[in-house]
Amino acid sequence: MAKVQYPNPKFWRAKDNIDWKKQGENLKEVLGIFGDMLKETDWKDVGEKVVAGCKADIERVKGEYKDFMALDNAEKWDRVVNGERSLGRLYRKGAMATVRREWRGVKDTAYDFWEWARLWGMLLATFSKDLIPAMNSALWYRWMISYFCCHGFMDKNILGLRGSNLRMSHELTYQIFRYVAENLVLLSKADRKNGNSDELNKMMVTFDEMTMGQIMAGFPDLCGIPHQLLPMFLVSEIDQLVCIPYIDAVESYGLPSDTCPVPSSECGALVINALPDMGSGFISSSMPCDGSTMASSYFSRRFPHIPVFHLCFPVRYLDEETVQMGAEDIKACIKFIEEQTGAKWSWDAYFAAMKRFNHETDLELQKWEINKSARPQLIGPSYELFRKWNYEMDGGIDPRVIPSMEKVNKMLLKAYENGETAWPERKMRYRGIVWSCPAHYYANFSNWLANCWGIDILVEMESLNFTKHLETEDKEEALRDLARLYERMVMRRHTNGGYQNVVDECWRQVEAWNAPLVIMYQNVACKNMATVQGLLDEQGRQRGYDLIWVEHDLMDPRTVSRRTMRDKVNEYMRTVKHAEPVDPSLVEFEDEVCM
Amino acid sequence: MKDLKHLIYFERLLENADNELVEKAKADGGICLGYTCFHIPEVLLNVDRCFSARLRAPNTGSIDIATYYMSNYTCEYARALLERAIEGGYQFLDALIGVDACSMMNRSMEHFEILGVNSKPNFFVTHTDMPFKITDYTLDGYERQMQVRVLDRIHEVFGVDTSDAAIRKAVAEHNEVCKIISEIREMRKAENPVITGYEFHVLNLVTYTCPKALILPYLRETLEELKTREPDPKPAFRARVAIVGSEIDDPKLTKLIEDVGALVVSDRYCFGSTPGREVIELKDDEPALRQICLHYMEVSECARYISDEKVLQRRETSDRLAKEFGAEGIIYEQMKYCDYWGFERALVSHIMHDEYGWPVLSIDRLYNNGNSGQLRTRVQAFVESLEIKRIHKEGK
Repeated sequence: MAKVQYPNPKFWRAKDNIDWKKQGENLKEVLGIFGDMLKETDWKDVGEKVVAGCKADIERVKGEYKDFMALDNAEKWDRVVNGERSLGRLYRKGAMATVRREWRGVKDTAYDFWEWARLWGMLLATFSKDLIPAMNSALWYRWMISYFCCHGFMDKNILGLRGSNLRMSHELTYQIFRYVAENLVLLSKADRKNGNSDELNKMMVTFDEMTMGQIMAGFPDLCGIPHQLLPMFLVSEIDQLVCIPYIDAVESYGLPSDTCPVPSSECGALVINALPDMGSGFISSSMPCDGSTMASSYFSRRFPHIPVFHLCFPVRYLDEETVQMGAEDIKACIKFIEEQTGAKWSWDAYFAAMKRFNHETDLELQKWEINKSARPQLIGPSYELFRKWNYEMDGGIDPRVIPSMEKVNKMLLKAYENGETAWPERKMRYRGIVWSCPAHYYANFSNWLANCWGIDILVEMESLNFTKHLETEDKEEALRDLARLYERMVMRRHTNGGYQNVVDECWRQVEAWNAPLVIMYQNVACKNMATVQGLLDEQGRQRGYDLIWVEHDLMDPRTVSRRTMRDKVNEYMRTVKHAEPVDPSLVEFEDEVCM
Repeated sequence: MKDLKHLIYFERLLENADNELVEKAKADGGICLGYTCFHIPEVLLNVDRCFSARLRAPNTGSIDIATYYMSNYTCEYARALLERAIEGGYQFLDALIGVDACSMMNRSMEHFEILGVNSKPNFFVTHTDMPFKITDYTLDGYERQMQVRVLDRIHEVFGVDTSDAAIRKAVAEHNEVCKIISEIREMRKAENPVITGYEFHVLNLVTYTCPKALILPYLRETLEELKTREPDPKPAFRARVAIVGSEIDDPKLTKLIEDVGALVVSDRYCFGSTPGREVIELKDDEPALRQICLHYMEVSECARYISDEKVLQRRETSDRLAKEFGAEGIIYEQMKYCDYWGFERALVSHIMHDEYGWPVLSIDRLYNNGNSGQLRTRVQAFVESLEIKRIHKEGK
């Protein structure tokens, strides 16, 4: 079989059809906004803040120098070789980013900079494939601006990491960033407001938030892009503040504020026309929750010219009676895509991708085995995010992912055999898992838990999904398997189909991972999880586990700030566990506006 | 108007889920099957000795224990049912027929099982999967769920006859109820109707919560009474409104709206008569179950149906009902924390105003609203705005 090129080179070659008049009007509007902003700016205040910032930097450098000089020689050597220990000093009140990058010791800092440069190289190379629409997106959508901070996101996710875990995390982050960069460029090319490539739009199908991408494996000539993933969900993990205007927009429109901020943000973006207009068809879905189900009518209202297929899987997915209905819906969805695009479903391409996906599942299970052991190797937000992305979006479609995963597993096994640990020894005090809708990307919580209290999050709920190999020969059974997979998408696998999937499953996983400490995220707007709160609390206590309840509101930090989230852990660790922090500088710090 | 003869009796029946007629049916050997959601075809729960009781939690006070289990950010109806169940208020049920249509109701019913709120040895809760759109295969799935999760279960546990003939018999009785309610509903189209929105709400609710055979004599008598009832010479209302939205099982809400001068002429909400009281026409040459499932899918106005044609159907139905019943405005309502109706209300209240030209009042509300001053003020303001519109219109 010929080597699969991914993404299909036809996508890049598709001709843009930019309406320059429209761009000119938009530019005029944007310049008007900038002009107003400049007029309204209190320059005296800006000047004072710059001066204060410079003074704070001078003080910080002096302080760091003084602290370093106060160490004895052995400690100085340790800091030079193994890196700094007080990570709280990287944050400053009112700053939107950390004051500088982390010193990880000579070797790891050098490696970190190499990865930093590699990431820049990839981003520049990718964006240069069609630079004008990609950059022009920043003039259409404010969320695009937050992507300029993607390096900061990478830094945040690897805060405190050293050795093999740092290397593996970088490798996995790179895969995600490449996917994001490529899709941002394609999205900008296709967007009828922007690149307006008819050619690409004919080849493009978009799908709903968190709807898995595997169905596109059977359409190698088509470009499948999750419509709201890049403009809303993923960018909010880079910048937690980015969705606030969209949430406000839809709440002003009349949506109650008690709904999940994920569909709320998406609907808000639709209300104010902040999502790209692209593709020849949209796959809406009933997943993962009631709120997400309803968001599709907002899409149809904004983009009435884009045909929609509603992919609706049974909720009671453990009931095998329901599987055929899911399989039939997939068949209907394939037919819809064929009708809208003129493309033909290819079983060969689908099976080839699913074989890769099955292999990726095996590699994932290998990681779990190691992490379940006394010496976990790959933990932290990069890995958690990669797992989610790989399961949901990549799904074996991109052949470039396999070598990367294999490389990581090789490093993983080697590190295990060498007796390494995921975090420096002092940070490995408690084994924990994360349950419920996770907020750790927004708040950099998994890293903070390890860096501050030595709580190592071995796995999160959303990673623990379908691990059965998908059928790659029998076509009917393959569709049923695909239905089973989709029914067990991230979040849905736990929050749908009965309480057993989230309550009983939690205790099963606590035992499997030997992790009696559970960070129980409580998304205040998630009804699926809120409705088992009492059961989890009651049964957790009966079992004697440490359940630390952490309220949050995903990408709306106004409801629950990151600091409030951390305080919940601080209080528990101090009052219940009588623990001392590993890094006291991280117990209290200001990051209200820090991305 | 002269009081309806049985109104106080009907009101008394609504004071308790376990009402006098439910008790009587049980004493006669009836099997009481509780349910909450329109997605469960009511007729299937009325086969043989079984009778359906759509669950309410009248006079709900504190829901603290349910809040502990389900948090305070979730549907009050779902919590009120759980609270009542924990208090022992649904001990009279023989089974609970649940749907996994909305997550909060599903969880509420799961708690019935987990917390063992009913001590009857044969008591069970069954959970059924519901479709989101109408296609051949979703109809197949729905029919299969009703067969396996409902009919087969009640047959296995209670030994009742769930044959096609038994289902058709239940449909016949159901249809008589529907015909009476539909005939009464038609009376609301009159310029000066002989029945108020509150009275209709009470009448309709007893048809959901009482055994059909036992409530039918009262309904027949009430229908005859209404045919000769004289309306007040001067209508007591200032504006006519239609209500559209999520679950309302509390007639005090209708009373509140009518107390401030609006006449509720149409009830397009869950527990209302549209949908719910449409006659089910069965063909003889097809299995009854499949026809019933299709009927419920087609008439359903639940916001959970997300396919384009159902989304449009909901808007068209609201518009049609408001027109047919001479409403001057529409109240779009939503039980607080209901995700389906939260998203639907926000969007469609704009659409009904902007595209269909209706004055719309958009509200979210608690489970029990009878005494809500805030709601009263909002409805009052809406009534005044409708009056002003009318004056402007008449002045042109």
